[in-house]
Amino acid sequence: MTTTAPHAQHTAPVALGDVRLSFPRLIRSEWIKLRTIRSTVWCFLILFVVNIGLTILAASVGSFGDGHLSGAAGEQAGVSVITLGVNLTSLVVAVLGVLIVSGEYATGMIRSTFTADPGRLGALFAKAVVLAVSTFVVSAASTWIAALIAVPILSGKGVDFSLASDKVFMPILGSSVYVTLLALLAFGIGLLVRTTAGGIAIALGLLLVLPPILQILGGLVNADWASNINAFLPSEAGRHLYQYDTGSTATVQSGGDGGPGGSAGASDSGIVVLNGWEGFGVTAGLVFLLGCVSLFLVKRRDA
Amino acid sequence: MMTAGARFRTVVPMIEIQHLSKRYGPKLAVDDISFTARPGVVTGFLGPNGAGKSTTMRMIMGLDRPSGGTATVNGKRYIDHRDPLRQAGALLEAKAVHTGRSAFNHLLALAATHGIPKGRVDEVIQMTGLESVAKKRVGSFSLGMGQRLGIAVALLGDPQTLILDEPVNGLDPEGVLWVRQLSRYLASQGRTVFLSSHLMSEMAQTADHVVVLGRGKVLADAPISDILSGASGQRVTVRTPSPELLAGAIAGPDVTVQQTADGTLSINGVGAAQIGEAAARAGVVLHELTPVTASLEQAYLELTQDEVEYHSEVAR
Repeated sequence: MTTTAPHAQHTAPVALGDVRLSFPRLIRSEWIKLRTIRSTVWCFLILFVVNIGLTILAASVGSFGDGHLSGAAGEQAGVSVITLGVNLTSLVVAVLGVLIVSGEYATGMIRSTFTADPGRLGALFAKAVVLAVSTFVVSAASTWIAALIAVPILSGKGVDFSLASDKVFMPILGSSVYVTLLALLAFGIGLLVRTTAGGIAIALGLLLVLPPILQILGGLVNADWASNINAFLPSEAGRHLYQYDTGSTATVQSGGDGGPGGSAGASDSGIVVLNGWEGFGVTAGLVFLLGCVSLFLVKRRDA
Repeated sequence: MMTAGARFRTVVPMIEIQHLSKRYGPKLAVDDISFTARPGVVTGFLGPNGAGKSTTMRMIMGLDRPSGGTATVNGKRYIDHRDPLRQAGALLEAKAVHTGRSAFNHLLALAATHGIPKGRVDEVIQMTGLESVAKKRVGSFSLGMGQRLGIAVALLGDPQTLILDEPVNGLDPEGVLWVRQLSRYLASQGRTVFLSSHLMSEMAQTADHVVVLGRGKVLADAPISDILSGASGQRVTVRTPSPELLAGAIAGPDVTVQQTADGTLSINGVGAAQIGEAAARAGVVLHELTPVTASLEQAYLELTQDEVEYHSEVAR
């Protein structure tokens, strides 16, 4: 390592004229950060590959009905094949969302971040925007590539549907919206607990562990409240974003006593079922609430 | 370098700490301290580990919330500046770099927040001697390289005020010398340089003014020469075959004479010249007459001996 003598240090100074903080500059900084860490780049790569790979795999090896599905049945099969990756990518983005902020706390980077933006919120909003846009773009690009590849494969197997149909288009778009919201939710969790292990444990617990526990509990003690809590968890509420809407959502699920369509709410049996937009509303609401709490704490806590 | 920021320099660059406190649970880490670090000089921040130096620096940089009082940089709280990296650059004690990112990308990302051009990133990499490792991931850095990167970050915005927490930690002798020269050079440009250390000897080489902190309180805030002369006074070692006679000859209200095990006298409160003259008048033979100047290290230990949080048995 060489040492430069102090007197030689300002020989060719770079002019620092309009040097100050701004939100677009913070976005640029967070974008540099995102693409210069291997783990985050890997998460996006996995997200991309899984979305395309799983869909092609399912379309290629799957068998669909008696060899001829069209109308609603065809659309439903198409949507479930194209959005198959969500089951895995939701876990990937949950890890990514936590990692992108907990990694800064674990390494002490957050102190550099907050020294550059001592107001803190600007840097964190910028980080959230970069995370959300990147996740959505990678997810949407890979899902639509998968869709374009899957359509002819499925068509060859007698599954006919159009990507332009609202009931196909919306869930495919919704799958990317869902993973984007999950990434933001995980970001909020990471910001709250500030450790990678704890953040990932909570995020995955929320997605993987809590729903079956509530379901089993609900079944065991025949408690509607357990199922109703489950309906508002991100995994369950968000499911309606990417699932084919058979037209029976927003109605009563149990008992088969087909209640009136329209808004969701407690049915005769007292179990809440959400439709697509309500699922979006609930998931986005959770992100918003968690975001407010964690940002409030970030402002108050020592870095 | 200074011309570009002319319009930013309407306020005198300095750090002003007023009645600053920080409480962690029942413990007061920083207890109502006030002092000022002025431009054009290197202000040392000295104290044993756990005295509250790092906490104070983190509060200046807006990373920790003060429990009371204020810390301002160039006239405003750091958090209220629109160009914080331009106002103050900080190297904080713990590493503040993502280990998975290269030094270059780390600097580039921080520069981007303020629109600092890439040329300046290259410049600080060159200034800190990191050219050969700039593209390597920071996780592989030695402590010394990490310190250099931290200093590069601090210099990034060409700030008027520099806050360096234990900057020579982990540096090799050449690096220590470099930090010393750099600190003095930056101060000579009219900047405020505020650096901490737990080593008095380091301060003696670098700082003009010293703020000594012990258990969260300011024990001394003075030019380094004052701390040196004021703390211990002058001591003279004398060897003589007739110590009682000499003691009588120099006796006075402020004079203390102590006889050590090997027979030498340790005399405080009177100079070597006066002792020699008094001995001549009394006809006392002297075998040795040595003025002992208190070292800075001693002065520092005297100042902080009651304030150290963790005494080692040997040190007592």
